[in-house]
Amino acid sequence: MTTEPSAPDEEERAALRDRISADSLTTRRDYLRIVATVSGGLVVGSTVVAAGVLSRHGDGSAPPLKVADALTPGQAVAFGYPGEDDRALAVKLADGTVVGYSAICTHLACGVLWQQDRGTEGELHCPCHEGVFDVRTGEVTAGPPPRPLPKVIMVEDAQGAVWAIGTARSGESERSGLCRGLRASDPALAGAAGCRADEGAS
Amino acid sequence: MSVPEGHYPENYHPGSDQPDLNRPVHERYPQIRATSGYADPRVTRTGPGPGAGTDQQPERSAALSARVALAVTVVIGQLWALTVATDAWMKGSTDTAWWCTGFSVASFLVVVLAWRISRQDR
Repeated sequence: MTTEPSAPDEEERAALRDRISADSLTTRRDYLRIVATVSGGLVVGSTVVAAGVLSRHGDGSAPPLKVADALTPGQAVAFGYPGEDDRALAVKLADGTVVGYSAICTHLACGVLWQQDRGTEGELHCPCHEGVFDVRTGEVTAGPPPRPLPKVIMVEDAQGAVWAIGTARSGESERSGLCRGLRASDPALAGAAGCRADEGAS
Repeated sequence: MSVPEGHYPENYHPGSDQPDLNRPVHERYPQIRATSGYADPRVTRTGPGPGAGTDQQPERSAALSARVALAVTVVIGQLWALTVATDAWMKGSTDTAWWCTGFSVASFLVVVLAWRISRQDR
């Protein structure tokens, strides 16, 4: 024997059926309103980005930092420069050149690793999405990263110690990055060092 | 089926004044035949005709669809501009980032225009 459904249940079912079978629950005018709201949000986002809310590796200046007493060819060292949170790594290449880069991938900020056994002279590799950077220039050679790695300018002193002395942003020349840092810390010295007004101005 | 009292127009009674014409009929207005047609003075409401219930101004509906498509396209352009602005800022090109923001603002104005330009369209 079956029991008859109560009247409120039937009403609820009928209302639900009406709602589901309605031609369109969201009208095109509603879509326009939603799209306009998204558009306004993108304007706000773009303004915030241009105003400088995102942190960049190398913002600010710091005195030279000794990162290693010595590096052998193929060896890498991780450090923080210019701030402790600005993760970076320096690599001594086979020909004795010392290069330094931000260790934060320009794609989604994963950690970039030095892999000596990849490529012709080793590669900087981001394992999250298989991003690969040229170890000599920092340019993207594979994967989704949109920008080259920001550089950390490295020098090796007479005793073989490795120092970080400045930074350069993605795609910026080392000279321009040095001038920018020098201008921030000592404008007179930047002028004396021959930095032009347009070098590292932004 | 009988028609309830009070549902007839004033001064109206069902059937003809000529009794021999009053065969049993069930319509409300038995005198109005299918042949009464246009210009019959007794026809005061034409009722739903061909196309009843469909969109009466399809060009307005099409225009609204086009506005939605335009707005969505413009927002896709804004997303692209945001990626360019982010890249430019990260590379230190602040001027480019601000130009992208200007493009985004102009795009937003286009979207608002598409939204508000004709509010009665359905």
